[in-house]
Amino acid sequence: MQLQLKIWHKMIIGIAIPSLIVLIGSIFTYEYLNDVKDRQEFVEIADDIKEDVLELRRNEKNFFHYKNAEHRDNVYNAILLLENTIKSISREIIEDIGQEDFSMLNKSVQTYTNYIDELYESYQDEIEVTEKVREEGRKLEDSVGKGKRRGGLTTSFVLNLRRLEKNYMFFRDKKSFLELNTALSELKSAAPDCTECISYKEAIRNLISTYRKTASIERKVRLTGKRLDEIAVKIARRERQKIRSFITVTNRFLLAAVALLCILGPLLVYKTANYIVTPINRLSEITKRIAAGDLNVRAPLKERDETYSLALSFNTMLDTLRERENQLVEKEKELYQSKKLASIGILTSGVAHELTNPLNNISMIAQTYTELYDKLSREDRLAFMNNVQKEAERIRDIVRDLLDFSKPKEKTFRETDINTVVEKSLRLVQNMLDISNIETYVTLGAGLGTVFIDEHQIQQVFVNLITNAIQAMPGGGMLYIETRLSSNGEFVEIDIRDTGKGIPPEFLPHIFDPFFSTKGVEGTGLGMSVSYGIIKNHKGNIKVQSKVGEGSTFTVELPVYRNGA
Amino acid sequence: MNKQYKIMVIDDEKIVGDMTKMTLEQDGYVVETFLNAAPALERLKEEKFDVIVTDYKMKGIDGMEVLRTVKKLYPEIVVIMITAFANLDAAIEALRSDVHDFFPKPVKIKELKASIQRALAKDK
Repeated sequence: MQLQLKIWHKMIIGIAIPSLIVLIGSIFTYEYLNDVKDRQEFVEIADDIKEDVLELRRNEKNFFHYKNAEHRDNVYNAILLLENTIKSISREIIEDIGQEDFSMLNKSVQTYTNYIDELYESYQDEIEVTEKVREEGRKLEDSVGKGKRRGGLTTSFVLNLRRLEKNYMFFRDKKSFLELNTALSELKSAAPDCTECISYKEAIRNLISTYRKTASIERKVRLTGKRLDEIAVKIARRERQKIRSFITVTNRFLLAAVALLCILGPLLVYKTANYIVTPINRLSEITKRIAAGDLNVRAPLKERDETYSLALSFNTMLDTLRERENQLVEKEKELYQSKKLASIGILTSGVAHELTNPLNNISMIAQTYTELYDKLSREDRLAFMNNVQKEAERIRDIVRDLLDFSKPKEKTFRETDINTVVEKSLRLVQNMLDISNIETYVTLGAGLGTVFIDEHQIQQVFVNLITNAIQAMPGGGMLYIETRLSSNGEFVEIDIRDTGKGIPPEFLPHIFDPFFSTKGVEGTGLGMSVSYGIIKNHKGNIKVQSKVGEGSTFTVELPVYRNGA
Repeated sequence: MNKQYKIMVIDDEKIVGDMTKMTLEQDGYVVETFLNAAPALERLKEEKFDVIVTDYKMKGIDGMEVLRTVKKLYPEIVVIMITAFANLDAAIEALRSDVHDFFPKPVKIKELKASIQRALAKDK
């Protein structure tokens, strides 16, 4: 079932769909802006974390350098800052960052804190151990300085040893360690039984092991810090990447939406307009065809909108119109036939009278023949019979003319000489003219050319015009018939003029209307309207001029036939 | 039949005149025929006729006019009218103008003869 919409609905849809597209686009844009804002926040947080971590690392370095509680606390503060930043991260962002990275971040911070504690402890140990070394060093120095020489131990050796010890404490590198170690081995070989030497060595060993422990913890701290750094950088980078790709995607989406609107919008508006206008246009097209005379067209009942009832009424109107036209055509036929019958009636009474004379002649010949049979010569008798024959032929001719006129005929257009048609028509009505005491004056033009006509129909027109003329002159009168070429040479004109009572001016405009008849005029002959129709069918004209009391002139114009033209 | 009666026949149908003349002459009448009324009326000025048989409908001067003229100028002449169409008005008008008889075509010659005889008998 096809969806049927009213124009009203179509218009709403036509407006609503582009509006909807714009609305959806706006919502998306709004959402997009919000998202961008959120993303921006994420990036800011990621940047904060990164900054906090950097700050932490800076303090870490200072702590490594100064190794004291103050700098340890600075590190703690930095950790606290970072922790606070991490705590401020919303669940939403955590999800965005990824649970894995987030927990790793947290764990790393925890580990880092633990290492820092350990490191501080180790630094404290270092102070103790360093003090011990210095103490034992001083003891050793003292023992040598008091002259208690022990083997190959010299003051300069001990002083050199203490220098190396200081170097090691200062540089804590492999070179200084190796130098110190070599010096310690020399000390052992130089004074194997020196107790101070053993204590000093012991203290140095402690120092070395503490230093190693510190270095190990520092390494761990650095590693953890580095990891924190990496995680922070990773998060920040990922957030940036995400926002970049998000902007790209959204940009594309918006671009697509705008393009869609640009393409779909006009298309939709066009379609809607089309949708509305098409049925109206169709009706308008049909109206044109009706105006051109085609009553067989019907408006298609396609859309169930306002045009539907319009189309329905249209079709009903057309049905009625066609029915009327059919009736009219039928009526015209009937009219034509009835008028023709009336015409035949009039002609028949004339013809009947005309027949009386030859009949009377035959009758009288027969009576005389019988009466005078014995007295008639052979020649007389033959002459009688010849006359009978002639009269019979006369009757035949009269009857044939009438039959010829009254027989319904198929229309046949032929190239015809109009003067012949005028003469034939006159023959048909001659008797009536005689009876009615009408003198006929016929002027047939020469060189008229031919006309392309249905002779029978044109003859009917002439008979009609002449019978009307006869009826217009009940007391007798004069009938003038004239044929001639029109002044421009394109028409043959036939005048039929009577000296009858004339037609009142108020009737003149209606004289060719169907069913029109001047009151009081007995018999109408072939209707004027039928004559008019016949002449129009011949692409001709029929005109009338009349003056009451003087008579009427009917002029028939028929186009001259141009062979092959 | 001691007196030769003169009869005039006016009809534009030549056969009517011819046949009437032939028959009436057999009975001893003197018959003259005319195809038009005008020469017939002229002839009346020259010669006296006893009976005029005229057609009613003719070109030029018609039967009614002949009747009126004759009755006016020569009231003693008997006029018999024949007509091709039975028109009651015409018959009444003719009778008023003192027509002797009125025959519709086709004419029975015997009846016409009888009518003439009656008219002439009355005349005696």
